[in-house]
Amino acid sequence: MTLLYDGSFETFLTLVHKMYYEKLNPDAILKKAPDTLLFDALHEVRYDETKSLAVFEALQKRFAKEHFERILHIFMCDGVDFEMDLLCYIITGFKSQRELENITLPYVFRLHALQKELFHISHKMSGFLRFEELEEGTLYAKLETKYSVLYFLGIHFSKRLNNQNYIIHDIQRSLAFVHTKEFKGVQKVAEFEAPKLSDAEQKFSKLWKTFFESVAIKSRENKKLQKCTVPLLYRTYMTEFMND
Amino acid sequence: MKKDIFTKMQILSDSAKYDVSCSSSGSENNYKTGELGATNNSGICHTFTADGRCVSLLKVLLTNFCIYDCSYCINRVSNDIARAAFSPRELADITINFYKRNYIEGLFLSSGIIESEDHTMELILRTLRILRHEYKFNGYIHVKLIPGSDALLIEEVVHLASRVSSNIELPSDASLRLLAPNKTKEKVLAPLKLARNFSLERTNKPISMSTQLIIGATPESDLEILRLSSALYDKALLKRVYYSAYIPINDDKKLPSIITKPPLLREHRLYQADWLLRFYGFGYDEIVSERTPNLDEELDPKTFWALNNLHLFPIEINKASYEELLRIPGIGIRGAKKILKARRFKKLKLEDLVALRISTKRARYFILCDGRMQKELPHYAEHIRHALLAPPKEKKEQPTLFDGSALFGEL
Ligand code: SF4
Repeated sequence: MTLLYDGSFETFLTLVHKMYYEKLNPDAILKKAPDTLLFDALHEVRYDETKSLAVFEALQKRFAKEHFERILHIFMCDGVDFEMDLLCYIITGFKSQRELENITLPYVFRLHALQKELFHISHKMSGFLRFEELEEGTLYAKLETKYSVLYFLGIHFSKRLNNQNYIIHDIQRSLAFVHTKEFKGVQKVAEFEAPKLSDAEQKFSKLWKTFFESVAIKSRENKKLQKCTVPLLYRTYMTEFMND
Repeated sequence: MKKDIFTKMQILSDSAKYDVSCSSSGSENNYKTGELGATNNSGICHTFTADGRCVSLLKVLLTNFCIYDCSYCINRVSNDIARAAFSPRELADITINFYKRNYIEGLFLSSGIIESEDHTMELILRTLRILRHEYKFNGYIHVKLIPGSDALLIEEVVHLASRVSSNIELPSDASLRLLAPNKTKEKVLAPLKLARNFSLERTNKPISMSTQLIIGATPESDLEILRLSSALYDKALLKRVYYSAYIPINDDKKLPSIITKPPLLREHRLYQADWLLRFYGFGYDEIVSERTPNLDEELDPKTFWALNNLHLFPIEINKASYEELLRIPGIGIRGAKKILKARRFKKLKLEDLVALRISTKRARYFILCDGRMQKELPHYAEHIRHALLAPPKEKKEQPTLFDGSALFGEL
């Protein structure tokens, strides 16, 4: 049986509920209806608040914190077909929490690895994110990443930019982490106008580029290595790789 | 005469770039509500230069004016180069503005000696005071202590900085006498000893300290270098020793000629050996000896050690302790931990290692998986060495940390 759901965490929980109580037995779970015809029947699962909540509470109660969090983290990994693995993970977890650390089980290993990749991207971005200073002093950064790390970054910067107003704007997902005196958290971005930069902005970005170019040692130049360490897809908004 | 800020930046970062000790990792998280800046436990790279090195800190000199004339140093007084100086205020402002834009983790501040040791240290201190007291900056600050400056100045710097260092530069006193007559090993280490004592007066954890050694400018062997590093680690004086392949800058009769290439591969091997000292439980005398005083160029130091100690192998991965696992060539810290974790659930076979994404390229010659040898190959050193180095070197090994092993410690 092939299941179809909307890709959200909540609906996935409904799906888990149905699997237990309505004896669904999927061999594939899709986020989008396929263009080609399936041999299999396609069964669509819709969000059901009661069922979803019931599973949520059960998970919270029966799963160790780190195992529970792993499920949430997996849902930040957009575009990965993790559903069957996650289903196995949850079934296993209700039987034995210990088994969820058994990395010799392929689906456990894959989820561990996926979570690590998510953390890795988040860690890289915590260095590569660039803020620009806007007219009234707010710091503004644009973000584009494979997986959703906006929330992690928002928290990371709330420590180091504690006394600053800042906005991290996740362009593809139309979300922003906003940190002001009045509000701290993730918001939807409906519309967006390119903001005006402060007068000092140009001076400091130029100063940074000067520094960046001057610290490279010519006799050790190795652009290939640089491409491994800062892959091109990270460079879009990095001041030092932008041409003015 | 007055230089604009961009020219200053260009000059003063250019002169500082040969100092490699720049990692900001391994310090506490320490942010305060309503203030600016925090340090991070795992180092954060903010960008990578065209030579592929991690940029984490704004690494500059306060000034590249210097009254001394050390042979290997680009800033020595006899060199005819552009000179500049930041004012403490200027530098503090740049640091804060770079930090807010997330260009950097913090500041790495060093300096040529302007007027006198004390005067130089005083200027550095003024910069620190502005950053810490006025701007309430809690980010990372690394200061190169000026050997020979007053103990009171050093004391205050130690209280304000996150890490301090003093570069030994040359691995032996004889070389120092020849190339840096105003320095001795004792004089260079003195501020570090002072720093440790000052920081211990306030907390029970001494301030984190490091040093740098220049490789290839003088005739010391790897044995001498690693013996020195090992002694510094043992006395818990230092947290890191950095190795910097000598890059000929000055045409000086006392130094290897300008034409020689920087010994990058040697530097790479020393970093690998250093990891073995700090994280793998090796003693320096296991890695190098009077008989083989230099590290092997073709093989990494762990593989080289293993081939000389074949009687300890093969190691059964289902039984070996963590320490023993770490001794297997190709198994790093992450690999060893994965093995420990996985074998709680089943007896591991070679396929399992592959599934766990542990590289078996080197390891398979040295392990037993559930009693079985992995290679139908004769278990003798020359054969393994040969197999590991094949196919014959059409692609010569790049001494450029491509495999990342020196960066991430997987040996
Ligand atoms: S004292 Fe320092 S800056 Fe001055 S020449 Fe010697 S190494 Fe260079």
